[in-house]
Amino acid sequence: MSENNENWLEVSDESGIEVEDIVRFDHDNKTYCIYKLEDGYYATDGLCTHETVHLEDGLVIDDEIECPMHQGIFKIKTGEAISPPACVDLKTYPVKVDNGKIFISIS
Amino acid sequence: MSSSKKISILGAGQAAAYAASEIRKHDKASRITIFSEENYLPYERPPLSKDNITGKKNFEELSFFSNDFYNTNNIQIENQAVEKVDFEKKILITNDSKSQTYDSLLIATGSKNKKLNFGENNKDINNGILYLRNIDDSKKIKKAIQTHNRFAIVGGGFIGLEIASSIAQLGKIAHVIEMGSQLMGRVIPQKIASLVLDYHEKNGNSIFLNSNILSIKKTNNEYQIDLNNNNQINVDFIIAGIGSIANVDLFENTSLKLDNGIVIDEFCRTSVEDVFAAGDVANFFHPFYGTQMRLESYQHAQNHGIAAAKNILGLNSPYIEIPWMWSDQFDLNLQLVGICNDFDQEIQRGDMLEEGIIYFFLKNKKIIGACGIGIAGKVGRDIRLAGKISESNIEIKIEELKNTEIKLNKLLKK
Repeated sequence: MSENNENWLEVSDESGIEVEDIVRFDHDNKTYCIYKLEDGYYATDGLCTHETVHLEDGLVIDDEIECPMHQGIFKIKTGEAISPPACVDLKTYPVKVDNGKIFISIS
Repeated sequence: MSSSKKISILGAGQAAAYAASEIRKHDKASRITIFSEENYLPYERPPLSKDNITGKKNFEELSFFSNDFYNTNNIQIENQAVEKVDFEKKILITNDSKSQTYDSLLIATGSKNKKLNFGENNKDINNGILYLRNIDDSKKIKKAIQTHNRFAIVGGGFIGLEIASSIAQLGKIAHVIEMGSQLMGRVIPQKIASLVLDYHEKNGNSIFLNSNILSIKKTNNEYQIDLNNNNQINVDFIIAGIGSIANVDLFENTSLKLDNGIVIDEFCRTSVEDVFAAGDVANFFHPFYGTQMRLESYQHAQNHGIAAAKNILGLNSPYIEIPWMWSDQFDLNLQLVGICNDFDQEIQRGDMLEEGIIYFFLKNKKIIGACGIGIAGKVGRDIRLAGKISESNIEIKIEELKNTEIKLNKLLKK
């Protein structure tokens, strides 16, 4: 299951997850969001960088995530904050699918 | 594009800052000057009633853009109040009696607080009332809360309630005095207003509805306030949030058309050629609703400023955004989208704050507005989708709206 030195953690089964859905993943006192987009899965930190709100409740439109509280917008693939009040980028993490299961690498 | 077009911006709030930034994105050559009356770079206001008071955020963190940004983008900020505008000669006269010409003018002077007046005999009471508009006001309120315990909040609107929430979070007490039969005016559904009232009371504040101040006495360092329903409260400070009016004093008796603010069309154009307006000060025509309106919200100030910039540059960009605003009180997030009056049906979705509760306002089976409340981010997505559904003008099946098992983005895709 390991590739090179990346530490892949199992998030969940793929089944039931639709495009524009968000899956919350908590690990080791940190939290993440995994997004299913048209062209695959992506992951970012789970909390908005503007205020402590979980992006799992946010709105995905194309490849952007809008924070549900104040509508700050981030690019999912790069984590870039593109619309205020969000101005600090999100960290992103590699995601892969293996045998119908989703994995995130948070090394 | 003229290489030395002079664009002057009157006002230095959010609409002004975003207008300047947007102009520079499209046009590297024009000269941009912002006329500011405050000694701060343009900054955001929402934290002034919340995180700045509770100490979660510093006053230094509020600027939209840094000094570097304005320098790098050649946006001049003049710390001068403008005393007069000569629309015919296209001249601004600043309070140091200097004249500055402009080619295009954007008026973004915002709104100002309505003030309480307890009469000529109560001048020192009048002068002691605290209001919230800017950083200096917020600092005064913060200091008062640090050193005192009891506060009267006159006005049960968003500002008054957000301050009351901050007061309670700091372990002090706010007594909210509201003349209406519910909090937050007629726009918020009664049921949501009641939930908010319960939350405030659960957190130690007291709310007086249908209440007016009959008399007020200041003795030593205390105010004794008598309300119309035999209630009496004693407080250390009075903070008022009783609404705002457009900041248009400078334009009275000029050729600029005024009516609840500066009257403009969907391209931000005023009645005077080459003069535009945006943000709180503007009473603009909204093509989607077919009516004039004036909005006071973060998103509107920002996006209206951006639209004005495009129109100043001749890019013909009608402003057709669906209105949206939020209010945070305690851990509750309340959001409003669209227009929430003139509806023929009201539909509820969800019934627990932990999952979010939303009321949709429909007219002819189409969503025209929605109001939701929930813990943290629970209503944001659906409110945002309500706005998109409203924009797309599609008819809705009531049962699908009510059913929380059905995701709202499915309704959009039909």
